[in-house]
Amino acid sequence: MKVLKFSLSFLLVVLAVFLLYFSINALDLSALLEDIVPLEVMQQDAGLEKAVKRINDSLSDDNQEKTLRNLNRLLDDFADKIHLDTKTKLDLFFYLNNKVTLALALFVFILSVALTSSALLKQQKHQRAILMAVLISMLYSGIYIVENLVGSNSMLMTVLKKGAIYALLAVSMNLLNGFTGLFSLGQAGFMLIGAYTYAIFTIEPSSRAQVYQYYQGGIIQFTLPVTVAIILAGLAAAFFAFLIGLPVLRLKSDYLAIATLGFAEIIRAIFQYDGLGPITNGSNLLRKFTTFNTALFPFAVSGICIALIALLIHSTYGRSFKAIRDDEVAAETMGINLFFHKQLAFVISSFFAGIGGALLAMYQTTVQAAAFTSAMTYEILLIVVIGGMGSISGSVLASFLFVASSEWWLRFLDNVTYIGSFKVPLLRSGFRMVVFSVIIMAVVLFYRKGIMGDKEFSLKRLMEPRKGGKRRG
Amino acid sequence: MANNVLELKNITMQFGGVLAVDNFSIEVKQNEIVAIIGPNGAGKTTAFNCITGIYPPTSGKVFFEDKLIVSSQPSKKMQSIYAGSNKDFPEEKVCLTPDKITKLGMARTFQNIRLFKTQTVFENVLIATHLHQKCNVFSAVFRLNHLQERAMQKHAMKMLEVVGLADVKDELATSLPYGQQRRLEIARALATKPKLLLLDEPAAGMNPQETAELSQFIKQVKEHFNLTVLLIEHHMDLVMSISDRIYVIDFGRLIAHGTPQQVQDDPKVIAAYLGEDEE
Repeated sequence: MKVLKFSLSFLLVVLAVFLLYFSINALDLSALLEDIVPLEVMQQDAGLEKAVKRINDSLSDDNQEKTLRNLNRLLDDFADKIHLDTKTKLDLFFYLNNKVTLALALFVFILSVALTSSALLKQQKHQRAILMAVLISMLYSGIYIVENLVGSNSMLMTVLKKGAIYALLAVSMNLLNGFTGLFSLGQAGFMLIGAYTYAIFTIEPSSRAQVYQYYQGGIIQFTLPVTVAIILAGLAAAFFAFLIGLPVLRLKSDYLAIATLGFAEIIRAIFQYDGLGPITNGSNLLRKFTTFNTALFPFAVSGICIALIALLIHSTYGRSFKAIRDDEVAAETMGINLFFHKQLAFVISSFFAGIGGALLAMYQTTVQAAAFTSAMTYEILLIVVIGGMGSISGSVLASFLFVASSEWWLRFLDNVTYIGSFKVPLLRSGFRMVVFSVIIMAVVLFYRKGIMGDKEFSLKRLMEPRKGGKRRG
Repeated sequence: MANNVLELKNITMQFGGVLAVDNFSIEVKQNEIVAIIGPNGAGKTTAFNCITGIYPPTSGKVFFEDKLIVSSQPSKKMQSIYAGSNKDFPEEKVCLTPDKITKLGMARTFQNIRLFKTQTVFENVLIATHLHQKCNVFSAVFRLNHLQERAMQKHAMKMLEVVGLADVKDELATSLPYGQQRRLEIARALATKPKLLLLDEPAAGMNPQETAELSQFIKQVKEHFNLTVLLIEHHMDLVMSISDRIYVIDFGRLIAHGTPQQVQDDPKVIAAYLGEDEE
C-alpha cells in the first residue's frame, strides 16, 4: 500500500513537472510564432506578414487580450497556409490554455504531496487535515480551471459567484438565527450598509463627478484599497449593529424580528434621503467602483469569512451561543452573561453580513438602496431554513442550490414553450416564483430540519462511521 | 454574621395579589447542608429564584458571604398596596443578574431539568466552565487560548468522573435516563466552581432506592468539594437523613426551623403537612 502511494505520488510529480515545463516553455509567443509561421512562408504573403506584425505589436504593448484575439484571427484566417507539426501544435495548445495547465500542474502537485504525506502520517487526525486541505485546494483550482474553460460570464460562473456570496450571507445569518437563537430579520439592512460603505470608498476620484452628477461630485474625494474598503464595510455594519443591539436585544423572539425588520426598512429609507446625497448619492445608483473579474475573489473572501465563523462556533464563545439558544435561563445561571453574548453574536453576524453586502455590490457592479428590500432577507432566511438551522455546511450547500435553481434551473418555467403546436400550459413569466414557493412550502411542511438538520458535513464521520448501528436515523 | 455563607433578610415576593414568599429569612453557615421544606406551592422555588437573581424580590435583602447581592425596594404603588410587617424598605436597589451571582460562587440546579438539549453530556459541562475563562473573542477564534481550553476540558472531564458519567460523555444529554440527567445537572453546576450549591428538588421523580443513592451522592460531593449545600425537597427520607438544619415554609411564611428532630416534632409542621383538625 505504501509503495503504491509513493510510486503514484512520484508519477504525479512527474506529470506536474511535465505540465509546468510545457506551460512555461510555451509562454514565449514570439519564438512560438516563428514555428507557426516560418520566415519563408511569411515573406510570400503580405496579409500574413501584417497579421504576425499585429500580434507582435500587441505583445510588445503587453495587451494579453488583444494578443489572444489577434492570434485566434491569424489561426482562423490563414488555416490553409499554416502547416503545424505536432510539437508546435502542443506548444500552441499550452499557450492558449496556459492558465488552465498551470492550475492543473499545481493541483497535481498538491495531490502528490497529499499522497506522500498520507503515506507518512500515522494519525487519522493528521490524515483528515491533509484531506481537507486537498479538498479545499481542489475546489479553488477547479473553479479557476472551469472559469478559464467556460468563460467568466457564463451562467455557471454567475451562479457560482452569486452562490459564494449568498453562502457567506446565509452563514452569517445562521450564526444569529440558528446558533444563538435570536430571530433577527435585519440582514438586508446590514448588507445595505456594507454595500454602500464599500461602493462609496472605492469609486475612482476621476469618475466621481459623473457618478455624483446631482451632488457636485460628492464630498468624499479619495479611494481606499479594496481590502481596506471591504473590512470597513464589515466594521460599519458591525457598528450599526452595536447601536441597534443595545435596545433591541432585550426583546424576545417575534418582537426582536419585528424590531430588526423595522430597522432594515429605516436604513433603506435613510440611505435614499436626499440630504445625504453628497455621500450616498441619494436614491441614484452608485457605480464605477472596483469590482472583481474572477470568481476566485468571492470564493476566497467568503471562504475565509466562513472559516472564521466556523472557528468561532467551535470555540468556547460558540458553545455559549448554543447554550443560549437551547435554554436562556439555564445559560444565565451557568454564568453566561446573556446580554454580552447576544450583543457579541449580533455584532459579529452583522460584520460578516456587511462584508457579504460589499461582495454583492461588487457582483452587481451597481448599488441602489431600493434593491435591499426585506424580500432579500427572506431569501437568505429561506436558504438558512432549507440548509438547516444550526448547520454551516447546510447553509453553504443550500445557497448554491438556491441560487442555481432561481437563476438557472427553473428559468425555463418563465418562458412560454411550444411542443410542436401544443402550448405547454402554465409556463409564462412569473410562474418560476410560484413553483419556487411551492417547493419552499413543501420543505417547511415535510422536511422542517432542512438538508443537514443541525449536523455538519464532517470527514470524520465519512471516514469512520460509528459502530453498532448508532448512527442518526 | 461572621461565617454565614448565605443570608436572606425579610425576602418578600409578590406576584400581583399573590404573596408567594412573605418576609422570609434564613441563614446558611459554612459547610452545612440546609433544607427548605414545605407543601406544594409554599414558595420554595420562588425563594430560590430570588436568591439566584432570576427575578428580584418585591422587598428584602440577600447576602452571599457578607456581600449584598440582592436588595430590593417596591415601587411607590406596590408600597401602598402591600402593607406587610416590614415597613422599613431598603434604600438602595441592588440586583445582580444570575450570571454575576454564579460567578461569585453560587450554582444551582432546576426542579424541571434544564439541560442544553442539543449538546452532548460533555459539552453541557464544558459550557459551565466558560464563565471563568479570560480570553477575548479574537484569541478564542484564532485558538490562542488552547492551553486554557485544554484546562477547561480537563476540568469538565473531572466533573463527569466525579458524578460517574464519564463513560456516556458523548451521548446527547437528553438521551440519558432521568436519574443521570439529574447527576449531569449537578456536574454542570459543580463545573462553575461554586462555594454554595443550591439543589431544587434533586430527588423529584426518583424511587426510594435512587433517593438513597442520591443522599449518599450529595454528602460525597459536599465533602469532595468542601461545599455548602442548600436544598429544596419533598422527600422526607432524604431531607431527614442529610440535613443539618431544616427550614419549614408554608404559604410563603416560615413556620419552623431547627434540626431534623426538632422540626419533626413541631406541631405546626405536622399541621401543615397532615392538615389540622377543624374545631
